[in-house]
Formats: sequence, structure tokens, C-alpha cells
Amino acid sequence: MDLDQKSTRTLNYFVPQMVTISKSGILQLSILILFIMGGFYALYIQIVDGHIVTGMRDNVVWGLYIANFIFFIGISYAGALISGILHLLRVEWRHPIIRIAEIITIISTIIGPAYILLCMGRLDRLHHLVLYGRIQSPIIWDVLAISTYLIGSIIFLYLATIRDLAALRDYPFKSKWRHTLYKFFAVNFNGNSKQNRYLERGLNIMSAIIIPLAVLVHSVLAWIFGMTLRPGWHSTIFAPYFVVAAVFSGTGVLIIALWVFRKYYHLESYITKIHFNYLGIILMILGALYAYFTFSEYLTSWYGSETWEMEVLYKLFDPHEYWWWFFFAAIVGVVVPILVILIPQFRSINSITAVSVIAVFALWVKRYLIIIPTLETPLLPLQDMRPEYIHYTPTAIEWLLTFAGVAMFCFLFFLFSKFLPIVSVVKGEEGTNYAELRKTVMQRIIKRT
Amino acid sequence: MENKEKKQTRRKFFFKTATAAIGAISTAGIVTQSCKKKVEEGETVSLLSPDGTLVEVDKANISMAKMPAQGKEARAGIPNKKFVMVIDLARCRNARKCVTNCQKMHDLEPGDEWIKVFLMQDSNDTAPYWFPKPCFHCNQPPCVKVCPVGATYKRTDGLVLVDNERCIGCKFCMTACPYSSRVFQWKDPVHENQADHDYSPETSVPHKVGTVGKCDFCPDMARMGKLPTCVTGCPNGVIFFGDKNEDIVTNGTESFRFSELVYERAGYHFMAELGTEPNVYYLPPVDRLFDYKTGFKTLTNEQKEFYKKSIVKKH
Amino acid sequence: MKSVIKHILIISLVATITTDNIFAQKKKTARVQVGYFKNYDKAEHLVATLIVKEKRYVPLSNGVIHFYSVSDTSRVLLSKIHTDNDGKAVFIINDDNPKIIKGPSGVFTFEVEYEGNSSVNAAKRKIAIKRGDLEVSFFQKDSTKSIEVSATEIGLNDQIIPIEGVNILLYVQGTFSLLNFGKEKTDENGIIHIDFPTDMPGDTTGVLTIVAKIDDNKTFGTIESRGEMNWGIPIEPVKEKQRGLGDTDAPLWMVYTLIILLSAVWFHYLYVIFLIVKIKLVNGSI
Ligand code: SF4
Ligand code: SF4
Repeated sequence: MDLDQKSTRTLNYFVPQMVTISKSGILQLSILILFIMGGFYALYIQIVDGHIVTGMRDNVVWGLYIANFIFFIGISYAGALISGILHLLRVEWRHPIIRIAEIITIISTIIGPAYILLCMGRLDRLHHLVLYGRIQSPIIWDVLAISTYLIGSIIFLYLATIRDLAALRDYPFKSKWRHTLYKFFAVNFNGNSKQNRYLERGLNIMSAIIIPLAVLVHSVLAWIFGMTLRPGWHSTIFAPYFVVAAVFSGTGVLIIALWVFRKYYHLESYITKIHFNYLGIILMILGALYAYFTFSEYLTSWYGSETWEMEVLYKLFDPHEYWWWFFFAAIVGVVVPILVILIPQFRSINSITAVSVIAVFALWVKRYLIIIPTLETPLLPLQDMRPEYIHYTPTAIEWLLTFAGVAMFCFLFFLFSKFLPIVSVVKGEEGTNYAELRKTVMQRIIKRT
Repeated sequence: MENKEKKQTRRKFFFKTATAAIGAISTAGIVTQSCKKKVEEGETVSLLSPDGTLVEVDKANISMAKMPAQGKEARAGIPNKKFVMVIDLARCRNARKCVTNCQKMHDLEPGDEWIKVFLMQDSNDTAPYWFPKPCFHCNQPPCVKVCPVGATYKRTDGLVLVDNERCIGCKFCMTACPYSSRVFQWKDPVHENQADHDYSPETSVPHKVGTVGKCDFCPDMARMGKLPTCVTGCPNGVIFFGDKNEDIVTNGTESFRFSELVYERAGYHFMAELGTEPNVYYLPPVDRLFDYKTGFKTLTNEQKEFYKKSIVKKH
Repeated sequence: MKSVIKHILIISLVATITTDNIFAQKKKTARVQVGYFKNYDKAEHLVATLIVKEKRYVPLSNGVIHFYSVSDTSRVLLSKIHTDNDGKAVFIINDDNPKIIKGPSGVFTFEVEYEGNSSVNAAKRKIAIKRGDLEVSFFQKDSTKSIEVSATEIGLNDQIIPIEGVNILLYVQGTFSLLNFGKEKTDENGIIHIDFPTDMPGDTTGVLTIVAKIDDNKTFGTIESRGEMNWGIPIEPVKEKQRGLGDTDAPLWMVYTLIILLSAVWFHYLYVIFLIVKIKLVNGSI
């Protein structure tokens, strides 16, 4: 496959990084592996001793695991929504970041559901979901939606990578297995116009499908909570609220990832301030939207002041309970990013990344605050003499597995970067295709009328 | 040992004679079970068969077998029954016999309670009262709706049961139940009485780690014409149980027509606004037999403080 | 002399008290209660209940109860029966049991005894009963349904005499208990009439069991008689619900929505995979 100059340059830049690993890289990798091993150790203990080793008890039956689950599914939005939308809108600056976004999607869609499994009492009965599945249960919706979403994301990523794979296939790698691997996945792509047409069609379809699918996945996730008769959960805006929060955190993670890779691989010439600025502005808009939902949600429940809603609210606003966390998650985590990005003088690559870190962490805390205070507020009085049944405190096991998840996220990212350039190398020719697409659409519209 | 205090467990005895098999049953609580001790040849026991006739049976011919339904039958329910419970709050003084009886019968750990007794106070100005709360066996059970595998299910006789051999332990039902009725088996269960028994959703024992359990209204007892153990355990006759179809509820000593009792004593559903349509009715705590403070008698100081604190409305 | 006797009395009294005390610490007090029951199938039995005092009285299982038939002059052992888990032992009275002695004026006297063991005291109790009988008949005139119960006793020479002035209770049999709906004293012919309530539910065909009882009477014990009538209001047979949020099968709209959504998405996936295959196949030049 023939490459233009720029692509060749990019390829030549990335390939050495793909096949070698630096000393500090090895060190970082071993730290990651250490964390992952810690996670496996915790998992082993949890399987042997049962869920008693977690902080979860009869009232707070879901804890850190579920918060992590929502969090990871949330950041998976980075790829799906953002790259999908950017692709459909043919935004020119998307190219350097779209690959990273899609990889985030896939990794977090794999890690997220793993936390659901950790939360399940009987992992050995997973097949019961197939044997006895009831489609009235939001959990089944979730299983169907997430698996469909994961497969969709993989197809999407794959389509978007075919050109690069073809370029890699033609690159003179020393190792034979790489060659075979790329050859297999490059499906004889050589960039002829027919292939390009098919590819673009596939990309258009997938990016159109992945957007509603992503919205649905997070709505279903929100419904798991929204369908229950629990204060703080039983809310009709929960689905859109979750969706917005998810895109918000997804964008945040994307910015952080860009920053990291920019530093790590010295991609200053590929990932520029423009990208940070644009993403920052998206982040700001989403932050405002998210703030609007938060305000609306808590204002309504406070104004209506149903007993149980109030109980939860008081817990959130009580300095001895969750107030500082809530303050951080709902106010600091939104206002600071908005202000910093809003004021041009504050806007810089580092500051945007810093506020993204704040936003992402705030959103993780927010997920925690969605789950725990509500579960600590059953409708009947909490008259249990066992303190651990009244207040939830995550145990070391749960923390270990949480960190292992994050480590796994980074580790898988690292693996990906060894097989694929982290920035897409070959650009497509969607300019013409876009015109074509518009033409066909117009034709159809004309036909109808 | 002869002097063995009666231990009420879910051991079911099944009596076989050479001529006929007779399930032990009692109409007036007369005869039911015999001891599982080794018995000498030639001794006889008298049994009242389900149709009320008496038979004397050689003890050596008595063998043990399981009575509660299993499989499909346990999912279908006892034909043409609609079990209801009526709890008379005016009689409760937190004697906690329902709790301990239930724990004994279902082999529960000390802290795990399938029926709980709450101290309730609706507002700061109203009187506190004791509030026994089993699972409500709702007619629109949120827990059943959300179960992904149908491990918890509604039967035709109104019961909501859990099949802990199917349950995957997702705990969704626990978050869905608005009445905190469900108890998770967080660790490997310690079995005192039941380890050697086959599981049935009707007995809910033995427990399995990583699954959910809850009050089951003792349908295995109902199959023998016996009342749930919380009903028989209560020294004050607080809990009435019966079949709504035949319109009779009883606490073991008194029987009422269910409709009349609920009508005359203004029976109500707890948190009816949730739309779960419970099968447990409460009679309001008017003309009480005991002051609520009597309920503190059996408690330690620490527990007393705890209860008092827990009902105070903070805001 | 008098004072000596007095002293002896006192000493023995003290002795009994002290021995009693010693035993009271070791031995528990037992009690045995006994009742006479006549079932609706005319089977008669004695039920002895053995209870022992712990903190309160609890049933004692596997204790041996001796059943005796007694008269002024004799005491014949009828049977030894072990108590069950509820502390109950049942002795069945057979009409042709030669050991059972009939007392004067048709009174039977029984005695139950528990002999005690190393840790539980002995206990016994007597019961004297006359054997009676209840006969239930049902009448229906227009919409009024009435029940007639006649109570009789067996006299000394086996003649049948109506029982006058005895309370008869009427019940409907429930799953767990009897529901009382009437109570009346018999007239001089030993007869009562009671109307049956019009709003009683029966089973799916309206059949219910009506029970007449002399309950725990001093002279006659407990006598029961019953009959089945279709006087109840038939109940709707309970059927399994189909297709709902809480049922095994989902509502149809849900099934359709799911199928449509999933197939729409998966169709596109397949199409895209098909495109990929095509890419592989059109391996032409540019
Ligand atoms: S009380 Fe709770 S567990 Fe019981 S049926 Fe209702 S929702 Fe289900
Ligand atoms: S924990 Fe068990 S019973 Fe409850 S919803 Fe999950 S599978 Fe069903």
C-alpha cells in the first residue's frame, strides 16, 4: 500500500517505539503488574472466604465495585460517543486522538463489567443468565447492551485501524509473527477505491450505530438504579444524567490519556494545543450540562422533601458524613474545570489536563455518592446492632481490586500501544466520500418527496 | 437422654406402615412427630393421619423422608391458597420470640433476622411502637421483577420464594426490596441442624454462600397444616396467619375471619404508597396491651440507647 | 408425749422440707395433663401431655407415660407410651379392650403416670369421663341453611340418653385452625339449631367442612363431629399469571422491542463484517 510522506514519517516514528521498551518502561510495567497481581490475590481471598471480606453487608449490598463499574463504563464514552460524533461530523482535528479514544472505549468496556462479576455472589453460576435469563430484569438488558456495545466498539476500532494495519503489514518488521499478524488483520487492504468505499461505508454505519448504542448502554445502567424504589435512585432523569456524566468523565479521561501519551511518546507534533483546547471546550460544555442535571436532581428532591429523599440529602449535606465528598464531586469537580477552561488566560495543556484529573476523580466520587448513601438509607429504620451493617467502609480487598482495575487499564493500554501506533497513521479520504454520502442522502430525500 | 428440651427444627418425619403410608398431621396439635432416637422393637406410637383417623404404628416402621415440595411443585405453589398474615401491633412488646424461633428453624446466624422487630415512631409527637416485619410477600414484588434469572419468584399461593440453587448472588433484589427483607449469605454457612437435608425453596435451608435468603412464610409447615414458626412462637398472639381464600386467620389460639378482622380493626398496608401490594396487613397499635417501654426489658443498656437513638428524627 | 409427737412432726416436716430442697435443686418438677378426645370418626383417645419446669414449663419428649384404667378397687395398666417432640403421648381407646373398666353410672376413670427419672420428678393425673356422642345434620330451606346437632350419652346399661345443657360450638374447618361461628346450650332433647352464615367462602366448588364440638367438657371431654356441605361461596380457582413484569415470561411488547432493537443493531454488525469480507475479496490494484 502506498503511503504519502506524512504517513510514512509517522509510521517510521512509531514503529521503533512499538518494538522496543525502555528501562523506565519496564519499571512502570512491573509496577502495573504488581498491582494486577495484588488484585488477583484479593480476588482469590474473596473467592475462598466469600463476600464477607468486603465491606458490603445487608444494607449496602453494592459498594466500590459497582461504583467502579459505572465509572469504567462511563469513561468508555470517550471512544464511542466522541470518536463516533467526530467521525460523522468529519472534524479534521480528530485524527491524532481518535485511536486513543477508541482504545479507551474497548478497555474500559472490558474492565467495567469485570467489576459486576466481582460483585456477584456466585460466579460459578454465570451460565444461569443464559439458562434462565428473564428479559424483564434490567441486568439482562445490561448484559445484552454491554456485550453488543463491546462488540460494536471492537468492530469500529478495527475498521478504523485497517489502513494502519495495511501499512504495518508492508513495513519491514524483523519478527515474523508481527508480519503474519498484521497480514491476517489487514485483510488484503491496499487502498484501492473499492476497498476505500467499503471501508468508509462501514465506518459510517458503525459510527452512526455506536452513538445511540452508547446512550442506551448508559441509560440501561442508570435504570438498574432508577427502577428501584429507593430514595436518590428512583428518578426519571437518571438515564440522561448518567449519560451526560459518562461523556463528561470520558472526555476527561481522553484528555488525560492524550497528555500522558504526548509526554510518553513525545507526540508534541501530533497532539497539539488545539486538541486540548477543543476537547477542553467539549469538557466545559458537558460540565455545564452535568451541573445542570445535578442541580435539577437535587433541587427537585429537596423541594419535594419526601422523607426518604431528605434523609439521603441530609447525609450528603452533613459535614460528618458525605458533605466534603459531595462538595468536591458536585461543585469543585464541575466549577473548577468550567472556570479554568472558560477563561482563555488559564487555558493551557497542563491546566486543561489538571482540571480533567479533577473532573474524572470528582466523577468517580460522584458514583460512590450515588451508590452508598442511598443504600445506607433504607426505608425502614436501620436498627442493626452490627456497626458494619449500618456504615459501609470499603476493605483492603476492595481497594486492591479497584487499583488492580486501574492498573489493568493502563496495562492493556500499554499492550495496545505495542501492537498499534497510538495515533492513526494513514488518513482516509473521506472528503470525497462525505460528498458522496450527502449526495445519496439528498437523492433519497428527493425521491421521497 | 430423656430430658431433652424440645427442639423445633425442620426435620420432617414421614411414617410408613406395612399397609399404608400416612403423613403425620395434627388438627388440634395433638400428635405429630416422634423422636429420632433408636427405638426398641415392639414399641408403638399413635399417629393422627391427615384425614383425622388414629393409627397405632410400630416405631420400627417409622422412617424419615422429606416432605417439602421440590422442583416444579415448589415453584407453582399450594393449589387454591392465598396466604396472608395479619400483625396486631397493639399486642407486641418486643418479646422477640418470632425472631429467635425463625432463626432456629432456618438455621440463621445470630445477627441475621428474616423477621425483624423495629421500634417505630412516625413523628416526634406520636407514640413509639414495636413493629414486627417479615417479608411482605408482595403481590407486585419489586424483588421478583428485577431478578435476572428468576431465582426469586411469585407463586400462585401468594408466596415469594428464593431458590438459592439458581440465585447468582447479584443482590439486585436486595436493592429492589423497599422493605429490607432480604439477607445475603456473606460467608460459608454454619449448619447446626440442616446440613444433612436436601434443599427446597420451601424450607430455605441449607443456606449457600453467596446467595440470598429471606422469610418464606414456612410453606413446608403449611403443607402439614401447621402455622409458621413465628406465629406459634409469639407469646402474645401478635401474628395471625391464614388463607385469604377461606377468609380465616389464626394465631394458634384465636381464629378470626380475615375480612372482619381487617375491617373492624382498620388493618392497613405498611407503605402502601409503594404499590407493592403486600400480603401482610397491620392492625394499628391502638388500645395497646403493653407500654412500648416493656419491650426494653429484655435488652441491654447499650441496645436500649441504640433503639432510642435510632428512632429520633434528626432533622 | 404430746410434745414428743409434736417434735417428731416438726423434725419430719423439716426433714421433708430439706430433702425437698435438696431434690428441688437437682430434680425438676414435672406435670402431666390428660384429656379425652373423641374424633369425628368416633375414634376415642386419651392424650397425655408431659411438661417439665425449666424457667417455664416446656414439653418433655421421649418420656414414658403409663396409662391405667382405675376403679375403686383396681388399677390396670393399659399401655406405656413415649411422648413425642411436643411432649404428647396418645392412647387409643378400643371398645373391645377388656382391660378398660366401666365404673358406676357409666363413668370411666383413667390415670396417667410419669415415673420420673434421676433428674425429673414423677407426676400423675386422673381423669373421669362419660362417653358421649354428637350427631350433626344439615337442613336447607330456601336461602336459610341451618345445622342441627344432637348430643347423647351412653348410660350404664348402654341406653342412649340426650345430654341437656351442654355447650356445643360450631366451626368451619380452615387450613390451620377452626373458625367458630356459633355456640349454644342443648335443650332437654340434647339438641341445638344454628343458622349457617351466608357469606362463608368454601373451596372452588363451594364445599366446606362444618365441625360441631363439645370442647373440653368436665364430664365428656372433647367430642367432635363433622360434615361436608357445599354451603360456601365457591372461590375462583387460582391460576398462574402469564406475562408480566413479575412473571416468568416477559410482556410481549418487551420481547418485541428487544428483538427489534437487537436485530437492528446486529444486522448492521453483520453487514459491516460482510463489508470487511468484501474488502478482503476485492484485492485489485488501485
Ligand atoms: S417484602 Fe421485599 S422481599 Fe418480600 S416480596 Fe416484597 S419486595 Fe420482595
Ligand atoms: S441475588 Fe439472586 S434472587 Fe436476588 S436478584 Fe440476584 S439472582 Fe435473583
